[in-house]
Amino acid sequence: MANIVLDKLVKRFGKQVAVNELSLEIKDREFVAILGPSGCGKTTTMNMISGLLKPDAGTVRFDGTVMNNIPPGKRGVGFMFQNYAVFTYLSVYDNIAFGLRIRKMETEQIDKEVQEVARLLQIRHLLSMPASNLSINDMQKVALARSMVEKPQIFLLDEPLSNLDAALRSVMRAELKKIQQELGQTTVYVTHDQVEAMSLADRIAVMNFAVLQQYDAPHNIYNRPKNLFVANFIGSPTINFFEGRYRGGEFNLKDFSAGKMSVSKENKKQVDDSIRGEDIVLGIRPEHLKVGSSRDGVSGLKAKIVSVEPLGSKTIVYMHPDGNPSAILKSSMDSDFKPKIGEMTSLIINEKNLYLFDKKSADLVMRFGS
Amino acid sequence: MEQKLYVKVLKFFLIVVVTMLFFFPIYWIFSMAFKPFPEWTAAGGKIYWFPNNPTFNNFRAIFSRKLEMSPIAGTAIRPILNSLTVSIIGTAIAMVVGIFAAYGISRYKAGGNLPFMLLQLRMFPPIAIIIPIMIMWAFLRMIDTWYGLAIIYGVVTLPFSVWLMKTFFDDIPKELDEAAIVDGCSNIGAFFKVVMPLAKGGIASSALFVFILNWSDFLIALILTDRRWTTIPVHISKLQSAMVGALYGPKAALGMIAAVPPIVFGILIQKYLVRGFTFGAIKK
Repeated sequence: MANIVLDKLVKRFGKQVAVNELSLEIKDREFVAILGPSGCGKTTTMNMISGLLKPDAGTVRFDGTVMNNIPPGKRGVGFMFQNYAVFTYLSVYDNIAFGLRIRKMETEQIDKEVQEVARLLQIRHLLSMPASNLSINDMQKVALARSMVEKPQIFLLDEPLSNLDAALRSVMRAELKKIQQELGQTTVYVTHDQVEAMSLADRIAVMNFAVLQQYDAPHNIYNRPKNLFVANFIGSPTINFFEGRYRGGEFNLKDFSAGKMSVSKENKKQVDDSIRGEDIVLGIRPEHLKVGSSRDGVSGLKAKIVSVEPLGSKTIVYMHPDGNPSAILKSSMDSDFKPKIGEMTSLIINEKNLYLFDKKSADLVMRFGS
Repeated sequence: MEQKLYVKVLKFFLIVVVTMLFFFPIYWIFSMAFKPFPEWTAAGGKIYWFPNNPTFNNFRAIFSRKLEMSPIAGTAIRPILNSLTVSIIGTAIAMVVGIFAAYGISRYKAGGNLPFMLLQLRMFPPIAIIIPIMIMWAFLRMIDTWYGLAIIYGVVTLPFSVWLMKTFFDDIPKELDEAAIVDGCSNIGAFFKVVMPLAKGGIASSALFVFILNWSDFLIALILTDRRWTTIPVHISKLQSAMVGALYGPKAALGMIAAVPPIVFGILIQKYLVRGFTFGAIKK
């Protein structure tokens, strides 16, 4: 059993606030990813959970016990570093046994534990090797073994896959998920890679500028982003935004000269009720923004195709709205779609796929069709 | 591209010339040490490039008081022991203090601007401060004592050892300390169990550099010692006799002996002098 509660954590480095009033609750056995761009405070948060950093304010609690003044070694956490931090002057065996020896465990017991974790990760044949001779993949496994061998209740992973090449990354991703499900520790996983976060985590905490932006299940993070940042950060290619004004049931979009979109009758009341200011931003995911001449949902908006990326499973089309080169739109189309570059085309937008944000506060006002 | 023959020859020739230029003083000391008195100088109108009649008399001269050209300054045994004592203790002071200071600076950014001020200290030539120090030392009755000299050696070489060690510690990723701390080490435990084994090479080579600096110092020893604690460089300068003046042969002989400890030290730590073998710990 181990749940983690962070209560209004603050950490400053000099004048810079690295983490600002962060509150987060992580349930026992839950897999939580902390996701954000570099410098958003995610690693600082992780270091406060592990105890490597002391918060300037707020508390860290494991199972209700305040951990602020407990040293990292006594918190019962396993930590895996982005760069693995394998001790190269020791053998693989000694690396894995390092923590157990510090804790003065019996030699026989140490041997049993090391063998067991080595079997689990399939690195038994490496045990006698000097750690300096390991390949990156094996080093990663040794680092994982070292953090797992003490059977920590809480498992902290700081970008563990970012040094691996793409193919191995997906293999290790599956491996990590399997191990976590088998052992059932509470896991916190720091990453800047949304694919890792979406595929691994039960819940994702999205951070930016030291502040928690949204904490929710992957599905909700994608479908109901709380603000412009989350909407923009999650999803690849990124979401399309149209700035504009709302007045009398009509969106007036800045990037389009004839950019008027009227709201359907059934939605108008909801928009009128929830809208906070005239200045708005409309968002639509590339997979919902279609290109072509179909009648249904034609918005009356036009865009010029400027480049095309055929990805095999789909084709990404890049466009300038109204041919205006200062803005770019992305559309994800079926792979059999063969557009002509330079062509003016109509945008097909289904109202139910639109996100409506308030421009001033950047918050989501409403999601059409839900 | 295949080089033309004359380019190769020219290159080789240049390398030989430059090497000879650099090695000539060393060769000259070695040959001089074995030359008998008449061959030291070109006074007879002849330069002896090799010792024609090799002899150990120069070595005898510096260790005995009985030969006719024995130096006024006395035998070299005491200065050799003095040099070893003060250089080793001075190096130990600079290294022990330097290692801890460098670790604090590297990991905890201790001291604010102090590290840079330490570096600036190196810009002062010792001659600029040696007179006030002599007065202080005289006041503290530390002139001509082993500790007086060892302390000043430790202090003078400290900035050097701090900066050298700092670069070694900076190269050891701090995640390694943190990993040890998460595994249950204390801060100091992580330092001894993880950082020290990795910094061994750096510590050994810094110690060698610091030792050479102390070992070859002339100015400080000249001013802060008198009779009992003179060191080899000072003793070399005093090698002259009433009969023949400067004793170039014995000077060269003692110079040769003085070269032995740094060379032995260097050979002992040779495998650590090659850097880079410990720093694959982390993928950058």
